[in-house]
Amino acid sequence: MAEKKLIEYVANLARVNITEKEADALGQQLEHILEYIDKLKEVNVDGVEPMRGLHLETNIFRQDEVVPFNNREDILINAPSREDGYFKIPQVIE
Amino acid sequence: MSKFETVIGLEVHVQLKTKTKIFCSCSTEFQSPPNTNICPICSGYPGVLPVFNQRALELAIRVCLALRCRINNRIYFERKNYFYPDLPKGYQISQYKMPLGENGFLEVSSGKKIRINRVHLEEDAGKSVHKNKYSLVDFNRTGIPLLEIVSEPDIATPVEAADYLSCLKMILQYIGASDCDMEKGLLRCDANISLKQTEDKVLGTRVELKNMNTFKGVRDALGYEAARQEKVLERREKVYQETRLWDGNKGATAVMRTKEEACDYRYFPEPDLLDFFVPQEFIEKAEMYVKELPLEKKKRFIEEYKLIDSEVDVIISNIWLAEFFESVVKVYSKPKEISNWIIGPFLEQVNNLASDFNLVKISAQNFAKIIKYFSQGKLNNITAKRALSLVITTDEDADEVIEKEGLRQVSGEDELSGFVEEVIVANPKPASDYLEGKLSAIMFLVGQVMKKTRGKANPKVVRTILERRLKNEK
Amino acid sequence: MKDLFNLTGVEIAKAIKNGDLKEEAVYSSFKARIDKIDSSLNSFVQTYEKPVKSEGESRLSGVPIAVKDNICVKGKAITCSSKILSSHIAVYDATVVKKLKQAGLQIIGTTNMDEFAFGSSTENSCYGATKNPWDYTKVPGGSSGGSAAAVGARLAPFALGSDTGGSIRQPACFCGVVGFKPTYGRVSRYGLVAFASSLDQIGPITTNFVDCAYLLNIICGADDFDSTSSRISTGDFTKELNDDIENIKIGVPRQYFSEGLMLPVKEAVEEAINTFRKKKAKIIEIDLPHTEYAVAVYYIIASSEASSNLQRFDGIKYGVRQNAASLKEVYTHSRQQGFGEEAKRRIFLGTHSLSSGYYDAYYVKALKVRRLIKQDFDKAFSEVDVILTPTSPTPAFGMGAKSQDPLSMYLSDIYTISANLAGAPAVSFPCGFTKDNLPIGVQLIGKEFDEATLIRLGFSYQNCTEFHKRIPNI
Repeated sequence: MAEKKLIEYVANLARVNITEKEADALGQQLEHILEYIDKLKEVNVDGVEPMRGLHLETNIFRQDEVVPFNNREDILINAPSREDGYFKIPQVIE
Repeated sequence: MSKFETVIGLEVHVQLKTKTKIFCSCSTEFQSPPNTNICPICSGYPGVLPVFNQRALELAIRVCLALRCRINNRIYFERKNYFYPDLPKGYQISQYKMPLGENGFLEVSSGKKIRINRVHLEEDAGKSVHKNKYSLVDFNRTGIPLLEIVSEPDIATPVEAADYLSCLKMILQYIGASDCDMEKGLLRCDANISLKQTEDKVLGTRVELKNMNTFKGVRDALGYEAARQEKVLERREKVYQETRLWDGNKGATAVMRTKEEACDYRYFPEPDLLDFFVPQEFIEKAEMYVKELPLEKKKRFIEEYKLIDSEVDVIISNIWLAEFFESVVKVYSKPKEISNWIIGPFLEQVNNLASDFNLVKISAQNFAKIIKYFSQGKLNNITAKRALSLVITTDEDADEVIEKEGLRQVSGEDELSGFVEEVIVANPKPASDYLEGKLSAIMFLVGQVMKKTRGKANPKVVRTILERRLKNEK
Repeated sequence: MKDLFNLTGVEIAKAIKNGDLKEEAVYSSFKARIDKIDSSLNSFVQTYEKPVKSEGESRLSGVPIAVKDNICVKGKAITCSSKILSSHIAVYDATVVKKLKQAGLQIIGTTNMDEFAFGSSTENSCYGATKNPWDYTKVPGGSSGGSAAAVGARLAPFALGSDTGGSIRQPACFCGVVGFKPTYGRVSRYGLVAFASSLDQIGPITTNFVDCAYLLNIICGADDFDSTSSRISTGDFTKELNDDIENIKIGVPRQYFSEGLMLPVKEAVEEAINTFRKKKAKIIEIDLPHTEYAVAVYYIIASSEASSNLQRFDGIKYGVRQNAASLKEVYTHSRQQGFGEEAKRRIFLGTHSLSSGYYDAYYVKALKVRRLIKQDFDKAFSEVDVILTPTSPTPAFGMGAKSQDPLSMYLSDIYTISANLAGAPAVSFPCGFTKDNLPIGVQLIGKEFDEATLIRLGFSYQNCTEFHKRIPNI
């Protein structure tokens, strides 16, 4: 079934494990929502530029000056696992 | 002769020479202890937002101009979404549809122009350290500004690829955009390579090569891969579109991932950043750096100043240095002497300043004065260096410093013979050694006189007096 | 003097300043009220034993305020009502929190919400649903349901919420309070955990427009940490607390009064229009022809951005990790266990909309229709000063009534979504009650950066009506 393949594909991209049952429910709900969204097909958008955000102003820059963050230890404390100042994770298999 | 042509394109990532990361104010310092140059922003914390480092754009513009790219007036960033432990936000802020620069070229040593497809800005990922059963992640590098420079598949041989890289490196260093140190990972190179029959119009299936960490690695990996593909094709088999990793120890490439596993990055415009209109003044400022590129400059320096190849390479390693050299030549027309002084004592002292030319304040006039006094014998090697070190960051007048510090070289025999006398009396052993034919012993005695005069004595004169005095004794 | 809990924020601040009330006593009174009532209302995720405050001063000094659980308060837990962030401590202050501290307010705790702000009922929370203070069998709206219920029940004089498609206004409507979404860019998003970056905006939830104006004065303004925050100056909103609304042109879009709008809501909103007419505002019927597409456009854009914004929750550097053999399983299991159903739906919808092969049909198409919707507003605002609509087609609905039907839940935001797509400021305030004593809200949408007119109209309305003074009987 094409729908199911799609759900699997998206689940893999989004790195969310789902059970068979969840996949079925999500598949149905998404189909329902996408059906509704399909109403956009009827809108004529010839010559309309996509609106990337609101772009109120432009060229907001930061100057190249170091401002150290003083609570970096707090960042490590929030980590589920750490070692010697590193974030510790399961082996990255290449 | 092979009936195949090799077609190579290079994708180079260089770290831009900024003090801070591209979207936060953390330091870019190399080799800091793990996770010390981090903040909520580059650690991908919930709620943080990026703010673009102006310097990164200025340097990137310089590179685009040096590579003769067309600069897009309006640029924006996009998100490249994928999961990897060294990518804390789960996406990399990069440029996709609208890169900063397009359609340029780089001239390599042979004079051939390798076309540049695009030049775009992006943020670097962190670093993983692999242990036996687990991995460790360091975000110090996360968010360091990178420039991705993608060539067209115009490169014909592995040697040409290496030459492209060294020419690129020379330019990037010259304009001050990047230090390009491959060992430090400041310049990284991926390649794609395919083979085609000479008469074929279409390109063959291309293979992407990664993990070539040195210039030699690039050349060897491409050489290996060209040979491998040739064998495959001669067996009338198919080259697969895949990514292969270079293993420098084995001297071979191996499959990393096949096309089927290719990622769907879901690029879309980064909504946390606005569009940027490249300001005209940024371009004008950058243009000053690229009026004459290093290859042209090199030719001119050799011709105009009669310098040799290796000397010019050092002098044009950086635009500031090249311009400083020329401004000294303008006030003191002895290019060879100046070159010797710049490559020797001057750069040595700049190194002591962490190679930061911004700290160098000495004017061309003042520098020329010191070189001139040296060549006239008013300063000796030691006192000239000392004078230089005293004025290099202050530009205090050399004459005043020489006066104040009493650096003027003493060459008068009358003034020096008293010191010579004292040294001979105090060191009977070396004196007799010399007389017994151990000629090198005299250097020790010269050194002692230099010491007594606190370096100010003219060593030539001292030596003459010493020789005469000792021989007379005999 | 009135009962403390019937005072407005401004009145409390004045009483503290006069010495009639003690700051500490105000805090402990509200804290005690929360402890008493919130066990059944469930509007708070956490309350602080001691207030988060600093020495700053303003015309609201000493007044307690609650913030939604997606706004970072340094040193305090921030969870977005999601399991994946349970145990996460904010390591920095959101810009709005910094501003509240500098203004001397007392932050009393964080409020419940739909997980990551995904929802319109505050039922999608890992802490369980918040109830509607007017009727515990009804939802408070969402996603800022905790903030709206807390203010409705007078557990705090006011609160901050965030609004991506109506998440401040719809719960304010359901709970009978004033919910204000400023212009996109008016309030810094730095420290607000992003749902949809191009739509999110923080705003105040208050019982009346006077408090609203004072609070906006504190939280609005440019921020160097948010590239999308506007540099346009904010002015003093309290100057708009003025009863004169003569000749202000109020547009009423016919598309917002069609099918699906419940009769008591329609009648109450029409009565509000009459009130404005009586005060000599001009009522003009207008057209917003692309209204019917707003929900579809919104769900594509918001979910796409959300899917990317939520990539960072992966169990690697913070949040809850599910241990597993491989790295990939750490990701997939942490995210499976950590995200609730609605979050997963949005992630799937968004990931799908951005994926290769669907990007143009969904994401790009939605961006184009978004522009058409924005153009509708631009055109309307060339004729009128503000637009008046119902806030929600229905009053608060029953717990569980829509939780099995995501689409019907999405459609309950039909009147609020367009303002986010257009970036326009909008406010909901009470304009009546159903015969079951459930609040009904009316919405005003203003021109970009014209919060002032909304405040003026709202203040004027509340000057001659009593709906905002009713308090639920709890």
